[in-house]
Amino acid sequence: MRVVIAEDNVLLSSGLELLLTAKGFHVAAITKDAPGFIDAVAEHRPDITIVDVRLPPTFRDEGIHAALHARRRHPGLPVLVLSQYVEQQYAAELISDKRGGVGYLLKDRVSRVSEFIDAVRRVAAGGTVMDPEVIAQLLTRHAHDPIADLTPRERQVLALMAEGKDNATIAARLVITENAVHKHIGNIFAKLGLSPADSGHRRVLAVLTYLSRQ
Amino acid sequence: MWRGLGYLLVSLLTAAVALFALPVFLVPAMARAWASWHRRRAGRLLLSPRSGPVRVGTWRVLGWLGTYIVTSLAFGLVVVVCAGNAVATAVTVPLWWALPAGTRAGGFAAGVPLSGWGTALTLGTAQFVIFAALTYWLVPLLARLHARICVALLSPSAAERLTQRVETLTETRAGAMNAHGAELRRIERDLHDGTQARLVAIAMRLGAARELSGEDPQMLARLLREAHEGTEEAMAELRAVIRTIYPPILADRGLAGALTALGTRSAIDTTLDIGDLGTIPAAVEAVAYFTIAEALTNAAKHSRATRTTVRVARDGDRLTIEVTDDGIGGADETLGTGIAGIRHRVLALDGTVRIHSPVGGPTTITVSLSCAS
Repeated sequence: MRVVIAEDNVLLSSGLELLLTAKGFHVAAITKDAPGFIDAVAEHRPDITIVDVRLPPTFRDEGIHAALHARRRHPGLPVLVLSQYVEQQYAAELISDKRGGVGYLLKDRVSRVSEFIDAVRRVAAGGTVMDPEVIAQLLTRHAHDPIADLTPRERQVLALMAEGKDNATIAARLVITENAVHKHIGNIFAKLGLSPADSGHRRVLAVLTYLSRQ
Repeated sequence: MWRGLGYLLVSLLTAAVALFALPVFLVPAMARAWASWHRRRAGRLLLSPRSGPVRVGTWRVLGWLGTYIVTSLAFGLVVVVCAGNAVATAVTVPLWWALPAGTRAGGFAAGVPLSGWGTALTLGTAQFVIFAALTYWLVPLLARLHARICVALLSPSAAERLTQRVETLTETRAGAMNAHGAELRRIERDLHDGTQARLVAIAMRLGAARELSGEDPQMLARLLREAHEGTEEAMAELRAVIRTIYPPILADRGLAGALTALGTRSAIDTTLDIGDLGTIPAAVEAVAYFTIAEALTNAAKHSRATRTTVRVARDGDRLTIEVTDDGIGGADETLGTGIAGIRHRVLALDGTVRIHSPVGGPTTITVSLSCAS
């Protein structure tokens, strides 16, 4: 799997390269700014891109803009955005084109190597991966909205669903049967008035769209 | 004219009183209070904005006192002569026949005896018209002149205004330095007690793991796991500290963008009305952001509001922030630290905070900050 990385900090980019190479990925290019990233994507046609939010010259949100720009030019280009902090606003912007292949994670998550590699693979396969902190921000919002009607267990299932986990993973994580997960999801969709979507990124998008619309 | 007449007559009477009570004004506080009252009267007559207490030096106040007594008596007497003669003529002339024989007309026609309706009507009317006209023309003129002299003598000179401004700035700067110092100490404490302590704990575990070198695989795994979890906790803590120093979204997107993100994250419906803000100093941006975040949190926690409106506008060097909710009001500054925190941050930048929260609501918090560098 070919990877293009946009990260200006050498410590982090070399760490990522080390980790990804060890797991069998091929790091095609490491770019240090947005224009370099756009060029590298056009040149290498990567299977997955990993982009830092803050890039030169201003170290603001160039990475988000670069990711959105690259996805407009190459629809569906898998992009995993990494950041030192997560902001719900950025998550909403990243999922706004309703296509899969989007991830948004705290840099901290990279240290959980197998989970991180799993997230990279899911994004590359067209899935959607959201950091639990984004979901936490979304879930703590309204005091009197349908989310409040969910049972604690259903909230847990919803959070994992929004992170892009499939039913088997959710079942394993919560130590319940897949059948139970299925039932919870049915209840959640009914309570939130969502049409039962199939699994995969469409389900994540439905949930994220619902949460950020509130 | 009537306002001027009232003003001059009050000045005349009070000047007469002041003349007899002069020793009282040797007490500076008395002289100052007396001066403040007169300047307010003068300001009202001149329709100038309401002024605060007089702040000029004691000698200036005493100088004003002398001028005020002289001008009040002089102007007052002119008015009394003009208005008095007009009134006296109007009263006496129609009643000439009832007066003792040989009574002469007053005023400038003093020498002419009033002996018949002819002289009474012509002389009387002429005299009344002349004095009334004089009164009508002179009174507003003298009143304004008197008020101007009063305001001029009691207003601080350019140098005095500058001194006052420097005093105010010195005070607020000291406040800002204190607030800044307290903030630095808080950050130091957070990093020292939190992140630094965690890094030490991690290093200790990694050091112990190196020493083990395969003797105890179970212990090794435990130490590595603990070190790993420690780094994650340290990162989360560091992120929280950074957020309190300068929210990253503010650095990324500026105030307008950061407020949009804040609004979508707020627990109650929030309407944003953000004008053209131009370039704002980072310190002001941060205070504006924390103020609004705190106000929204307060509204969500205590006010039972269902919606809030945030208005941010820039007018020249002033940035005005207004957060209104439709809740139950009765916000109490002494409870909790939210409003106190807002006040603390805003005052450090020489800004102002106004909180209007009647019981029954709604609550409005208005903050004004200077963007001048």
